[in-house]
Amino acid sequence: MAELNETIHQPVRLRIMAALVTLEPTDEVDFTYLRDLLEVTDGNLGAHLRKLEEAGYITVNKVFVERKPHTYVSATAAGRRVFQEHVAALESILKRK
Amino acid sequence: MTKNSDPMNMSSNEAEEALAAIQTIAKKTRQSIASGGTYITLIVTGVVWLVGFTCTQFLRQEIVGYIWAGLSILGGTVGTILGFRMGKRVRSPVTGPTVKRVILFWLLLALYGITFIAIARPTDGKQATLFVILFIMLGQLAMGLLFSFSSVWWALPISVLALAGYLLFPSIFYLWMAILGGGGMIALGLYIRFRW
Repeated sequence: MAELNETIHQPVRLRIMAALVTLEPTDEVDFTYLRDLLEVTDGNLGAHLRKLEEAGYITVNKVFVERKPHTYVSATAAGRRVFQEHVAALESILKRK
Repeated sequence: MTKNSDPMNMSSNEAEEALAAIQTIAKKTRQSIASGGTYITLIVTGVVWLVGFTCTQFLRQEIVGYIWAGLSILGGTVGTILGFRMGKRVRSPVTGPTVKRVILFWLLLALYGITFIAIARPTDGKQATLFVILFIMLGQLAMGLLFSFSSVWWALPISVLALAGYLLFPSIFYLWMAILGGGGMIALGLYIRFRW
């Protein structure tokens, strides 16, 4: 049976992962775009991204585009798998009702 | 959303809220990405059509050609710049080859369109305009079907609108396309940007 994931369980991290797994596996999303999409502050998003990166669920890619620094974020294969398991666990809780 | 510090003790209500939050953000992400390019394309094309067709209806033929050429260059440049800026939000390593294929597709479609018009020899400017509109909408439908199904649908009503204007109101066809075609695209683009 699928298990809930303690790292992804946190509401902001859950929404971050939901946004990232919606993208194609090869796509990565800009930090500011993700911040606006989730309606969180820079600091809040940064802190949660660090947690997810440490867990190996996302990749943070810092690059220069037209001489300006950009941070791109994407879900790793492990992150996608764990997220799907978390969703399956949530659904199984609902079925138990 | 209710926060439970221990996920192992999650209630069914909390699970339901978490799943709803996931669905909401997934939908928002999909809509945001799909609408990003669509509303820019609609507004830029709409402005070009509104100005171009209005000029075609009321100005002399020799001036209109220059206006369309200028508008096409301006529209293409603005669309490319804005599209490029929007593209920075989501990056993909497969974007490069895809962009090349898209450019090649539009070039080939233009070539086929020109060949078709040369063979068919339209009787007047309105018929040639209708052919061009239908070819552009065909290309837009192909792009939508390949890349984002949510952006497909608007090309169909524009095609129907063009056909209706050509068949039912030939004397005001250009004005019809300016107001309903161009204006409609601008309104739709603004709606997608601010209300969708």
